[in-house]
Amino acid sequence: MSEVAIAWKVLTTGWAIPAAFAGVLWGIIGGALPGISPSIAMALLLPFTYGMDAPTAIILLAAVYVGAEYGGSIPAILIRTPGTNSAAATVLDGYEMNRQGRGGEALGISLMSGLVGGLFGLLVLMVATGPLARFALSFTPPAYFALGVLGLSVIAGLSGKSLLKGLFAGVLGFLVATVGTDPVSGVSRFTFDSPDLLGGIRPILAMVGLFAVTELMAQVIEPAWAKADGVTARLKLPGWAVWKRMARPHAIGCAVGTFEGATPGAGGTVAAFIAYNEAKRWSRHPEEFGHGSIEGVAAPECANNVVTGTALVPLLGLGIPGSNSAAILLGGLLLHGLTPGPMLFEKNPEVVYGLYGGLFVANIAMVVLGLIILTPCLWLVNRPKPYLMAFIFALVFTGIYAMEQSFFDVGLTLGFGLLGYAMRWFGVPQLPMVLGVVLGFMVESNFRRALVISGGDWRIFVGDAISVTLLVIAAAIVAFSLRREFLTRRSATVAPA
Amino acid sequence: MSRDIACGVAGLALATAVWFAAGRIPRSLLSDEVGAGGMPRGLAALLAAVSALILVRALLARTAAGDDDGTTASQHARALGVVAIGFAAILVAPAAGYIATTFLLIIATAAYYGAKVELRLAAVALGGAVALWALFAKALNVSMPAGLWMRLLP
Repeated sequence: MSEVAIAWKVLTTGWAIPAAFAGVLWGIIGGALPGISPSIAMALLLPFTYGMDAPTAIILLAAVYVGAEYGGSIPAILIRTPGTNSAAATVLDGYEMNRQGRGGEALGISLMSGLVGGLFGLLVLMVATGPLARFALSFTPPAYFALGVLGLSVIAGLSGKSLLKGLFAGVLGFLVATVGTDPVSGVSRFTFDSPDLLGGIRPILAMVGLFAVTELMAQVIEPAWAKADGVTARLKLPGWAVWKRMARPHAIGCAVGTFEGATPGAGGTVAAFIAYNEAKRWSRHPEEFGHGSIEGVAAPECANNVVTGTALVPLLGLGIPGSNSAAILLGGLLLHGLTPGPMLFEKNPEVVYGLYGGLFVANIAMVVLGLIILTPCLWLVNRPKPYLMAFIFALVFTGIYAMEQSFFDVGLTLGFGLLGYAMRWFGVPQLPMVLGVVLGFMVESNFRRALVISGGDWRIFVGDAISVTLLVIAAAIVAFSLRREFLTRRSATVAPA
Repeated sequence: MSRDIACGVAGLALATAVWFAAGRIPRSLLSDEVGAGGMPRGLAALLAAVSALILVRALLARTAAGDDDGTTASQHARALGVVAIGFAAILVAPAAGYIATTFLLIIATAAYYGAKVELRLAAVALGGAVALWALFAKALNVSMPAGLWMRLLP
């Protein structure tokens, strides 16, 4: 029986399609709630899959992943609170569009970019699992270090008006990432004898603090909003002209998402940031980025949804979960007596091809459910400002507490809010700091592991082909950004004369 | 003082503090060549260099650009009040429980943003608190603080 026929049979004979819709709905809700990551949303459903047949259970879990990756962008656009880590890059232009009364347009772009990314990721998963899985296996600690450096090189492009201040913020973020247990020796660093800090500071705390709490603080001294009219409070799907404009950022998002998704440990957050930076670099209107750019929403949203497909490549091809969400899916497979890896294709083709079919349905379900729920979401955020701000604060308070049932985490998030407010006053951009927090641990741990392996010989970083390639690309990105800043400053100096 | 100068000074102060704090991190027998304090010290040095550059650039430019963004001290204090409400909620929550704390948090925040404290606000706050509790405590099975008064119930 052909692969398509197997997928069709799985989808049409059981509960696979309702499971895909239910999973996406649950995922959107989970993704939209700060503190509930895609992996948590999936983990909460894991016990319920026990009584299901294996293909339906795996489709349900994968659909939650698809829904959650998309759902994270809704609060990012509407209330400047990324629901998931990978939605952090969407905040910049998505929220700016919302402030300009274009929230419905931003949500439409995010939805359609998510669909493009999700379907492309599925296509990659279907045709390239074997070769990409072998490529992912060739990553060594120096290559992972270089991958982290490549991610950090994006700081140069996210720095706004001042590269120096972007670097300042990036170093601050990296310092935050050093809090906790040392990855090599196990020694505690900057924990002040607090057990709450032993595990380090989760990036979501920094993100919610820097974005949401800072915005809550800033809004209290801003004048009241103008009431949205019936047009701006309605979901607006992209027209032909916008689709044409999104083609380039979508292509970039697809390429970056494929690479980052297939690499264990990288994931949607890094993919979204790199895609945003590259979209800005290759855009005909780079000046619009940060001020409500269509491309600034399309690229990261496409990239993080590509990852929902490509992150399953190392899992299905090799049995290696490259992310927390993939690890939960692995748990789902093991729960049903399935062992992922090359043999899964031979022994249980109905699970693999059923999953492909289920992911396709999940992406369609994402659009259908998105169309239904986004207009009410827009209505909600157009309520009177005091009520909306109060609800956002309650949501932040609850979501952060719910992660670990820890008021310490809530306090830390408020602390990041204070820091974000100070950074805003100093004119220091917040996004590079978030990138530093996200990538700091990965860069440091792999840097030091590589040196342990080589016995302290630094040539290990140039002796690995993947590492060298990634470091050269990172250097090129930084050089390009420096050149752009130099040219911008020069033209600004010449212009008044 | 220019905001860039303040930024540079704050960065240098932080870098100095991190440098000395990293020096006090104990060295383990399992430690590698870089050591647990190596990366923080490197970052502190980088932060100091970047802060110094920001400082020097601000001093050389001698521009007042961005010195006054129009925000007064009382407005900054008002912004800080939002965070104070959050910390107050953290203090109240273990004793008052989740629903009561969220109810009070919504009312206090909305009032702070200028809403009239009236029956409508109380109803919205109660509805919001119960809805969030139902979502997190019931649907997502998260254990939320019950509060001291719940323990008094049979």
